[in-house]
Amino acid sequence: MNAYSPGLGLQFGGPEYFEPARRERRGSGPAMPVGRVQMVQMRFEALLVARQRVLLVIAIFVLVALAAILRIGYLGTVGSAPTHSSMSEQLLPPRGEITDRNGTPLARAFPAYALWFDPEAMGDGGSPLVRSPQEIARELKAIFPDLNEARVAKQLASGKGGYLRRRVLPEDANRVFELGEIALQFPQETDRHYPQGSLAAHVLGYTVEDQGGKIGMEEVLEERLSDPALRDQPVALSIDVRVQGALEEELRRGMLSTNAIGAAGIVLDADTGEIMALASLPEFDPNVVGAAGAPNVFNRATNGLYELGSTFKPLAVAAAIDAGVVRDLGKPWDARPVKVGNRTIRDLHSKGDVLNVPQTLVYSSNTVTARVADELGAAKMQRMLRDLNMDARPVIELPARGKPLWPQDPNNRHTNMVIGYGHSLAVTPLHLANAYAAMVNGGIWRPATLHKLKPSEVPRGKRVFKASTSSRMRQMLRMISLYGTGRSADAEGYRVGGKTGSAEKPGVGGYSERKIISTFAAAFPMDRPRYVIVAMIDEPRGTVASSFQRTAAFNAAPVVGRLVPRIGPMLGVRPDANRDVDISDLRYLVEKK
Amino acid sequence: MITSTQAKSIGWAAVLAICVGLFVVLSLRVQAVHSEVLLAERKIVSLKQQTLLLETEFETRASQRQLANWNTVEFGFEAPRADQYLEGERQLAALGQPLGPDAPSPIRVARTDLSANGGKGAPRREMVSPVTGEAITLAAASQEQDAGAMFADAFGEFLTEASPIRAANAKTATGVRE
Repeated sequence: MNAYSPGLGLQFGGPEYFEPARRERRGSGPAMPVGRVQMVQMRFEALLVARQRVLLVIAIFVLVALAAILRIGYLGTVGSAPTHSSMSEQLLPPRGEITDRNGTPLARAFPAYALWFDPEAMGDGGSPLVRSPQEIARELKAIFPDLNEARVAKQLASGKGGYLRRRVLPEDANRVFELGEIALQFPQETDRHYPQGSLAAHVLGYTVEDQGGKIGMEEVLEERLSDPALRDQPVALSIDVRVQGALEEELRRGMLSTNAIGAAGIVLDADTGEIMALASLPEFDPNVVGAAGAPNVFNRATNGLYELGSTFKPLAVAAAIDAGVVRDLGKPWDARPVKVGNRTIRDLHSKGDVLNVPQTLVYSSNTVTARVADELGAAKMQRMLRDLNMDARPVIELPARGKPLWPQDPNNRHTNMVIGYGHSLAVTPLHLANAYAAMVNGGIWRPATLHKLKPSEVPRGKRVFKASTSSRMRQMLRMISLYGTGRSADAEGYRVGGKTGSAEKPGVGGYSERKIISTFAAAFPMDRPRYVIVAMIDEPRGTVASSFQRTAAFNAAPVVGRLVPRIGPMLGVRPDANRDVDISDLRYLVEKK
Repeated sequence: MITSTQAKSIGWAAVLAICVGLFVVLSLRVQAVHSEVLLAERKIVSLKQQTLLLETEFETRASQRQLANWNTVEFGFEAPRADQYLEGERQLAALGQPLGPDAPSPIRVARTDLSANGGKGAPRREMVSPVTGEAITLAAASQEQDAGAMFADAFGEFLTEASPIRAANAKTATGVRE
């Protein structure tokens, strides 16, 4: 209502307003009676009031116009700018990406939709849904076949807000949107997604909302991944996702075909210590792990302690060659059972009363290795083990690292002898891979790492074996896979050399005959070793696939034999049937008759 | 009548008014461009997020395990053998060496004589009915041009069904509910 409104009886400019004045003016004469003066006074006052009202109306109009102009000016200059001004800030992921060495993403922040039920969305205090909860639940079931229809219907009917699903695909979100229910909403959330699923789960670990990374590199790199200044740059790990995939697949096949309870595998760059692949089976899927934790988080490759058996024999022989205990490889050693105190060390299959050192490795003789270790002495044996870092947790970034279990009295003569063939000392498979890398790469031990290293960042390492010893060991490891227990690992053209190990698991009251750990530690190509592979199968059983055998030659070695041709070309190792390590000076020692 | 002083001041006022007007217009224009830039940035952000989404989905569908499973079921590819590699040009050239003096003659395979047709190969013959001798078109041949599209469709469906995202999704949901 304003001054024009008829209710006020003041029609500005209307005829009835001016009429009386005109009438008066028409009837006025030169002499004004007193009544007239009063009339003029009243007219003047009425005019004043009218003018004041007109002024008031104009002032209101001017104010409104001014306000409008100011608002336009404000919108034109300042107001329209959105609050977010930096694009880089918006593109900054909430948590940094982890990639493999070639840039394939392994873990990334992923914009995901959730399906949320908001009963207040309609805003009219009535029913939150247009249709009945049962109907909506049925429609949702058609979109998400694994939905629990009754439960969702109950939730919708209860009128309490909550998640209906944590993760919804965009196309499914569109289909739910088409149901036309305002109460079904899609808040966008950031999820940590592992595109490769369970691949390299033990390397990566997982994340828990509001708690950060758990186990694996997610935990190790927690600060780096959440640092706002650095998290737009992905972190490159040393692993190669193709090698990891091949390793896991072959290990899984080896594990399942022998009904084993677990398996572990490592592919290590012999010259830099970079881990190309590290697997522990059974694995878990980091995509579905919640705050409750995951099953199978135990990392057999870096945390599991095992007596790795005969794979230690080459290490003991290398130490003996280094120390000058073994000078002449053709020298015959007594291979009959060794009696130490009241215990006797025997061979599984006797290959004669005398064996030379190459034959010892090829036929995996416990007795000769024990004699070599005895002659080497406990002090030198332990020095070699300490040089190979076997007295401490393995050097790697992962938090799960097992501390080796040493025997109570390593200086005991019998204990020293059994250490020579890998018993009574429990280390992790990673220790073994590191030791083999040092043995074949010219004698330099380097710590293992999961970070991708530039050539300038490769640690200098420390010398453990002489270069000449390393050269001899390359020949003998190659001979094992040519003539001995490692024949099923000899992938054609790849010059694989390695040693099998089948050790009985220690249990309550001595060693268990039924539970064994079978391992194959290898390197390829043996003429210039680039990569070390350790494959370990935990408690394999004799099955058709392993010819009803449980030893490493029938389960762990074939894993390596199938793995090497798959990963070799990817890692830049070309198979070549015309190339091999020169074993002509040792060949006659094994190829007799 | 306006004096010259008055005219001058009116002139200055007019110049000032024009300048102010231009300034307002300019600042409005700047703001307009600025908000256009912001809109473009917003679009870039949303497109980058879509790219991320699609890339992640692709990575997930083409994960190592999935590829290995497909290879086992569908393709059966194997790692190349040592004899499938060539050392270099020398080994490649060795494959085309001329025959030695006492080498056995190589096995020859029957084929049409190309020189008789001006080197252009034999003219393509229509498939004829063995009964009437007339040219026929096989049902399969008429569909040939769609074969690529049909395969693409079928493979697309296969991909959708085999999507590991769905499986992971399903697992997430059950995990939450339990």
